[in-house]
Formats: sequence, structure tokens, C-alpha cells
Amino acid sequence: MAQEPVIPSGGVLNDVAQGGNVARRTKDPTGMFFLLPAAVWVLLFTIFPLLYALYTSFWSFRFGQRNQFVGLDNFVRLFTDANLHSALRVTLTFVIVTVVVEMLVGFGLALLLNQEIRGKSVLRAIMVLPLFATPVGMGFLGITLFYEINGPINVFLRTLGIEGIPWLSTPQWAPVAVMLIDIWQWTPFVFLVSLAALQGLPVDLYEAAEVDGASGWDSFRNITLPLMTPTLWLILLLRLVEAFKVFDIPASMTLGGPGRATEVYSLFTYRTALRFFDHGYAAAQGILLLFIVMLIVTLLFGRIRELYEVGG
Amino acid sequence: MRNRSRPVVMVFVWGLILIMLIWVLFPFYWAFLNSIKKPAETFQATWVPWLQFQPTLEHWASELSIRETRNALRNSTIISVSAATVALVLGTLAAYALARFRFQRISNGSLTTWFLSQRVLPPVVVVIPFFLLMRQLKLLDSVWALVLLNATFTLPFPVIILSQMFRELPVELEEAAMVDGASRLQSFLRVALPLVLPGLVATWIICMAFSWNEFLFALSLTSNRALPMPVYIAGAEHTRGVQFWFVGVRVMLTMLPPTILALLAQRYIIRGLTLGAVKG
Amino acid sequence: MRGFKFLSVLLVLSMILAACGGGGAPAAAPAEQAAPAGEAAAEEAPEAEATAIPGGETYATVTEGSDILPPVLVEPCEPGSCPFEGQTVTVIVNTAGSKGPISGPFYEVREEFEAATGATLEIVEVPEAEHFPKLMTDVTTGTGQYDTSIAGAWWVGDLVEGDFIISYDDYFDDPRFPQWDYEDVQSGPRSLLEYGGKKYMVANDHDGQVMYYRRDLIEDPEHQAAFLEEYGYELGVPQTWDQFRDVAEYFDGKDLNGDGTPDDGLTLHLKVGGQGMFHFMSFSAPFVIGPDNPKLYWFDPETMDPLMASPGHLRAMETLVDLLQFGPEAMMAWSLGESWDHFLRGQAALTFTWGDLGSLAQEEGSQVRGKTGAALMPGTMEYFDAAAGEWKATETPNMVGNTTGGSWSGVISKFSDAPEATYYLLALMATKEKSLIYAQRGWDGVDPGRFSHYLPPEGTASLDGYVAAGWDGQDATDYTKAYHDNFGAELQFPYLRIPGAFEYWNSLDIHLSEAATGQKTPEEALQATADDFDAITDRLGRDLQQASYKASLGLE
Repeated sequence: MAQEPVIPSGGVLNDVAQGGNVARRTKDPTGMFFLLPAAVWVLLFTIFPLLYALYTSFWSFRFGQRNQFVGLDNFVRLFTDANLHSALRVTLTFVIVTVVVEMLVGFGLALLLNQEIRGKSVLRAIMVLPLFATPVGMGFLGITLFYEINGPINVFLRTLGIEGIPWLSTPQWAPVAVMLIDIWQWTPFVFLVSLAALQGLPVDLYEAAEVDGASGWDSFRNITLPLMTPTLWLILLLRLVEAFKVFDIPASMTLGGPGRATEVYSLFTYRTALRFFDHGYAAAQGILLLFIVMLIVTLLFGRIRELYEVGG
Repeated sequence: MRNRSRPVVMVFVWGLILIMLIWVLFPFYWAFLNSIKKPAETFQATWVPWLQFQPTLEHWASELSIRETRNALRNSTIISVSAATVALVLGTLAAYALARFRFQRISNGSLTTWFLSQRVLPPVVVVIPFFLLMRQLKLLDSVWALVLLNATFTLPFPVIILSQMFRELPVELEEAAMVDGASRLQSFLRVALPLVLPGLVATWIICMAFSWNEFLFALSLTSNRALPMPVYIAGAEHTRGVQFWFVGVRVMLTMLPPTILALLAQRYIIRGLTLGAVKG
Repeated sequence: MRGFKFLSVLLVLSMILAACGGGGAPAAAPAEQAAPAGEAAAEEAPEAEATAIPGGETYATVTEGSDILPPVLVEPCEPGSCPFEGQTVTVIVNTAGSKGPISGPFYEVREEFEAATGATLEIVEVPEAEHFPKLMTDVTTGTGQYDTSIAGAWWVGDLVEGDFIISYDDYFDDPRFPQWDYEDVQSGPRSLLEYGGKKYMVANDHDGQVMYYRRDLIEDPEHQAAFLEEYGYELGVPQTWDQFRDVAEYFDGKDLNGDGTPDDGLTLHLKVGGQGMFHFMSFSAPFVIGPDNPKLYWFDPETMDPLMASPGHLRAMETLVDLLQFGPEAMMAWSLGESWDHFLRGQAALTFTWGDLGSLAQEEGSQVRGKTGAALMPGTMEYFDAAAGEWKATETPNMVGNTTGGSWSGVISKFSDAPEATYYLLALMATKEKSLIYAQRGWDGVDPGRFSHYLPPEGTASLDGYVAAGWDGQDATDYTKAYHDNFGAELQFPYLRIPGAFEYWNSLDIHLSEAATGQKTPEEALQATADDFDAITDRLGRDLQQASYKASLGLE
């Protein structure tokens, strides 16, 4: 293989890390024309709710109505509330496991279906379907899929000689069941975006590599992977953000149980807001999550940018 | 190069594909089974209609015979198609702006982060203010409230995914077009946009999917006329527990429009492939 | 073309799958017996109105009782002189459709109500779990989308003290409205209709948990002999939780429905968010409540310190957790439906739950019709008097009635612009004639709680009515007697209706699940519950909570 593969700019990742490899961007004021519609739209519809949430976070609530200005009390509670910490732990485990599995399987599947395989168009369409299977519905179905006495999964496992797994009734397995449904649902997201990016890769690089006698593995390692890296980080970023907010599946399948074994952060916040009507504390929780996720995003992607700069 | 494979490899590849197919399709098959089983058979591991149990169409009949089912499907389609389209149009423009222009006051990085942050806050925190906002706009129980919301909250996807894709396009193509007398807008529309078509389609599908599945806002902002499928599915949970047979029917129905869309859309993903191949 | 290809692939795949799965299934096939034979009856039942979300068939299918209709009581009004011409009453109710529990009767009464008043009835159905949040969102923002909510009784503290609903005291005796008999409602459920001396809930559903047992098993001579041999006393309907344990242990692992597979001693529904805390409340009542301590269960009214970690509560929790070994492990993740299904298939000897099970047992597909006995929940021989701080023994079993559950009944929103029309609707449905039919039918989810629902000598209903609604005579006799005894019991479990009840109960629910699944010991679980209670009380304002609590006990 003759030429070094071009290392892409790093794109959004640089942006997120507040960096600035923007040498090729012009300062043409027409840029505003492209940017403004979206910016105004988002600002218009989110500024009031956001300020409202921020405002309520300084209040205590009784009967779902503002009761007393309590300053930073709601934020102080964030640090002493063991239940919140448990929810955070559950969520972190959930995020790490599901996002890693989804990334690996989704990208692998995209590579697989990027090959010349008969019927690939139909296969691609099928692989995307779980994206549309409403999570609430999947949560309900999960109750029957993972049904312990005679559910299809346990019956299948028994034919393999594995004793039935107490999927939903034990704190050890219930999170696994929730994660499996989530992985089923969101792997196609990774698949879809990486497939779209794979198809944008320049074919001539591969042809040149082939002429040079590079094996498939060489091409993958030297061309596909480096070219795909920015997109993969991007997908990781988007999946991370979504996974931190997971709600529908545990809310319809396990309701957080047994005990608090599957009580994820959003479910906890949901209960605080719409079960206990403690809107102020719920707002504080939301702000904390915003802070945590943005911190992770910035730290993680700041590091990546450094890697790029050293490597490039 | 990529299609020359030995038989052993092909067996392996097809084995993998088969496993993935079973993994992806089994839950749908199970939903379908639930929808044709009598309530008393819900929790039984019977898999083959006629051989193991007598299927019934009564749940399908009762679901299809009522207005609410059709309404919910229609509402969901209106909401997700409109929201995804609005988000895609606005988002693509912004994505292009972030990829091709440098902004002075606020850095591109901050702008991107700001768009992304719209997806971080758990929706439940802003449910009440949005309820108040929509009440003010007289949009309670209206599909347009959900179009607005979903367009807003899926907008970050096109912004972030597409600006990455624009950035990977060689800028020379657009520059060449502008040298030939095209305006910025023209070079964007005629040169850049077609080249990211696979990305556009993928992003549109993603925005669709998120709007299609959105539950919490839909729950709090609709009560009757504007009810979309996810809330309708949740409605299968009664005072006496989940009515799994209706969940089955509703999940299957929910899958219909997106399945058709996905089948239509994947043609364009293929077309995008050939265009993408030309560009290099 | 492409679509067709795709569909055929899908079809072929599902067939392959089905074939693969087929191999694994026969093991389960013998259990498949409960398939209702007479589907025809269900199909003949009048189809849901076009405007309804369907449903209502629970795991067993529609009962013949659905053919019984309540009488039409009010005459259509003359156009132009209709009392509520042009008004709209919007009711928010748990989702279940036009043939489903609680929501069904509203569809049924709509025509009669609209004709008699000139008003329009709109029915908004929301999933049970989302009903309270949606209602609160509406009333706390003063929006007023709903005129009435068919509410759970434990919301009333928040609704009244937040000033979100109005009392119907002024309407009750007004002859413009349908008249119903307040005193007909038995004292237990009646106490839930009022708050602070004013009437808020219009009687509809009457919830309380009773014990269900398999009469055929308990009366079986072979089992009686074997039980006597093993435990040294006669097998009978359990009077205490110790006896309950013996019976559960005895039947656990035996084949109870003749299908050749071992069944369970008991079944419960203990899923978090699946109303498991109600189980604990009705179960634990006789460990804490007794003749010398008729009221104190939740808090010490002088300090508002929670009593949840008291020795009485602890023994109750330990006893309950110990009992769980006689049920299927899966029940830790069961809500009502799965657990009832288990009992209806004849796979459990004992359970304790709401009135729905008694009437579901009569329906098509049930294996236990004519075999389902019901009785007051068992008691104890010793309870912990929290006020005195000591255990007190009793001569006879200490039994406590309860009204645990939702008792789903209508309340009128303060933001309603048609409160009179709204009360008219609720009162119409509360009339004796309608209520009796509601209580007798299984599908509408309205459980009995009035003297006019009971059979003589306790009440005035006739057995013929129950038989006509599809009941087995003995089952109906046991069932109404059990409910009469439960709601009329001298000692009643003190229902918690102070503000924040939902949050207190949520904490109990989660910690109960933790104890049941071994994440915490009973002691840790109760201590955690007590700690949560303290935190909630402090946040809502200890003084205010204390005042509410004292008022609810009648201490002020």
C-alpha cells in the first residue's frame, strides 16, 4: 500500500472538545443563513422550558405546586440521597454494557452487510426494524419473552440443557434482561449510521491497496478503521447520551425492580417529578445528569482530540 | 476485492447473518404469536400456530374495528414524518454551516455542543413547562405540539451526524462549482447534498424512529384525538395488568408503516452508494 | 416487488423459527389445558362501541354476566328543558376500554346520561400508572381538562389538601340529582368517601383484600387425613397466619389441578410497582393492629416518627418473607394478572387479593369455578401495641379488616365548569340498582362493599342475581360473606390518605421487594422504609403532615 491513509480532520470531535481545526472553513457571513433557522428554532422552543426547570430547582414543592424558596437545598440533596446514587450506579453499568455491545455488534454487522452479499438490501432493511419497535411495547413483550416458568427464552435454554434463568425475579438477572432488550433495540442505530459512513468511503483507496497485494485485514486495519474512527466516536457519543436517559424499557418491563435493581436515573427522576411531584428536586436531578454527561463528553472527546494531534 | 470469498468464509458469514436474523426477528414473531393467542395461552411456550394452539383473529378484529387504532397510527405517522422532515431540513443547513463556516462570537465547538446538549436533559424535567407552553399555544391534545417537540429534540441528530459527513467531503468540489458561477446555496444543493445522500436517508430514518417511539411528551400532551401509538400501546396496561394480546397486535401494527418506509428508503441508500463511489 | 420478496423472506424465516421452537415446546404442552372451550359465548357478546379502546377480557374470557345490564333509571329530558344542555363532562379513567374494568360502565351509561341531561360525556382513558400524574399535571396548573377523575382513594389527601377537588355535600340531598344511599355503603369503604368530615368520593368501587382458598382441596377427606397426620390438627380455612403457613406448606409441590405437574402452596403479586405493598399492608395489619391499638400503624401521631420498624412490623415482614418459599419464584416479578392467572389455572392453593379474583373465577376458562372459597384475612394470636410498646396476646385470633386498594371512585375537579352535571353522572352510577349489577358482574371491575350487594342475612341481594350473573352459588355465598366480614370487621386497617401517600407507599413497595428478593434482611428493609418516611415527612413539612395525620385518625 503506497500512500498513508489520510487521517480525517476529527470533525465534530474537535468541536466538542472546543478545539479548532477549522482551517478550511471560511468566515463568509452567509454561514449565518445556514445556521440561524435551526438555532432559532431550538432556542425558541427550549429556552422557556429550560429556564423554568432551572427556576423550579430552587424551590420546594407541596401538592405539585411551588411552596418555598430553598436556595441550593435541592442540589445539596443530590449528594446525600443514597437512592439517587443507586440509580446512578445502575445507569452507569447499563450505559457501559449496552453501549459497548451495541457499538461492537452494530459496527460488525455494518461491515458484514457492506459486503457483496446476495439479498443485502432486504437484509439491511430487516436489521433496521428494531429501531421502530416502540420501546414501551418491547418492555411489555419482554415480560412474556423472559417469563420464567414457560417463556420462550427459558424453554429454549432448557432444550440446550441450561436450567431456566430467573430473568425478572432476581436483582442479578433483571438488569441483564433490560439490557438485552435495549441492545436489541439500539444496535440498529449503530449499524445504520456506520453503514451510511462505510458507503461514503473512497473506493479507489481499496483498489489501490488491492493492487499492492494487501489482504482484507490489511485494508480494514489501514483504511477502513482509520477512516471510520471519527464516525465511530461520533456514534459512541450519540449512543452514550441516549443510554444515559434510558427510561421506556425499564419503565414498562420491570418498573425498576426487583427492589431498585433496574431503577435507572431517568426512572428515578420521573418518579420524583410525576409520582411525588417534587418538581424542584427532579429539576436538580436533571441538571446534575446534564452536568455529568456533558463532563464525560468533554473529557472523553478532549482526550481523543489530543490523540489526533499527537498522531497527526 | 470485497466480493471474492472462499466457501468457508461464506458459510461463516451466512451463519452469522442467520443468527442475526433470528435475533432481530424473533421478538416480532413472538409479538405476532401473542396477537393470535387466546388470553389464557399468553404465558405458554407454544410457538407454532395450528400445531400447538388454535390461533384466533379476535384481537386483530377488535383492534382493527375501532377508530382509535387507525387514529393512533395516523397520528404517529403525521408526527414522525413531519418532525423528521423539519428536523432534517433545519439540521442539514446547520450541519453544513458548522462544517463549512467559522463562526466568530460563539465557536463552532460550542455551537455543536449546544445542539448536542438538547438531547441530554431527561424529558421528564421539562414536561411541565412544555405542558404550560402548549396550553398557551392552544396545542394540548394536538399532533402539532408533538411535531414541534420532536422536531426540536431530534434536530441534534442531523446537525451532528451530517456535519461530520460534510466535513469529510473534499471541499474542492464545491469550490470548483463556485468558480463556475454557482452561489453558495447552489453549490450546497447541487454538489454537497447529493454526496451525503446516504447520510441524509440514515439521519431521516433515525429522526423518524425517535419521533415514532417518543413516549413521555406524547403521554403528557395528548389525551384523546392526538394520541400516538406508543401511548396507545401503553394503554394496553389495564387496572388488572398488561393485556399482552393487545400489545402484540399494536406492536405489529406499529411496525407496518416503518417497515414500508425502511424498504423504500433502502433503495436510496444503495443509490447513495454508487454516488459516493463516484466522488473519490 | 421488493416488498413481496421481503415478506416472503419474513414468512419463510418465521416458519423455520417455528419449526425450531417446536422441538422445545412439548414439555410445556401438558400444562396447556386451560384453553377456554366456549369461545362462542365471547364472540356473541356485543362488540365494543366504535369509540372505545377494547379490552376487559382478563386472562379468562368474557363472562356470561356481560349479558346482564343495569336498569335504565332516568327518563330522557325534553329538548330545550334539559338541565345541563350543552355542557360537556370529561371523565379521566384507567384504560380498559368499553368492556373493561372501571372504565366499561361509563361507556354503558353514556347514552342514558346524555339523554337525561342534555350534556355530553367524554371519556379519556389513561394507563393506570399515568392516571395520577396526568390528573395532577392538570389540576396543579389549573388547566381543567377533566371534570372528574375515577381516582384511587390514596390520592384524596393530596387532592383535598391541595384544594383540587370539591365536596359534593351540597349536591347530595338535592332532588335534582339521582339519589343514592350513603349508609348502604359499609363502614370500611364508607370511611374512604369522606375526608375531614366532608364527602368527596362518590361510591363506585370497593376494594379490600380477602383470602381465597381452594374449597375442594380443604374439604378433600384424603388431604384432611394427611394434614391431620402431619400437623396434628384438622385441616380447615386458616384462621391465623401460622395456620396459613401450614396449609401453604402442605399443598406446596402437590398436583392441585390434576395435570400431573407439581403446583404451588400460594401465589402473590410482588412486582415493584405492581401494588405489592398492598399485600404487605393487609398481611401485616393483625401484627400491629389489635383491640388495644386500633389506629396506630404508620406514624406516632405525637412526633410523626414512623412506626414501620416496630417489632410488630418486623415480625410481619419476617413471616411474609418466610411464606414466599411456598410460591413460585417468578411471582417476585408478577403483577395482578399473572398471579390471578396462576390461581385461576388451579396452580396455587391459597392467595390473598382483591374482589376481582372471586368474580374472575366464575368466568370461562377458569379451572376453579365452584372451588374458590373466600374468607377474611387470617389473624394472629399476638400483636405489638405500638402505643404501649409491648406484645399483647389475644384469646381468639386477632383479625383485621382492610380497605387496601384503589376503591376507584369519582371525585369532582375544582376546575370543572360543569360540576353539577358531573355529580349527576357519578350519582346516577352510585344508585343501588346500578351498583348491584356492577358488583355482580365480573368484567366491570366494581367490587362489592354495600349491604345491598350482600346475601341475607348480611344484606339484601338475592343469590339468584349472582347465579344469573354466572356465579357458582357456594362461591358467591363465600365471597359476599368474606367481603361483608372484611369491611364490617371491628378492627380496620388504617388506610393512609395524608398528602404524599403515594411516595410513602412507593418506598414501602420497593423495600418490600428488596426483602422478598433477598437484597435486604426484613429488618434492614423496614429500617430503610422508616428512614425514607422520615425524609418524606420532613420535606413535606412535619407539622403539616402531623396535622393531616391526626385529622385522619380523628384525633383533633
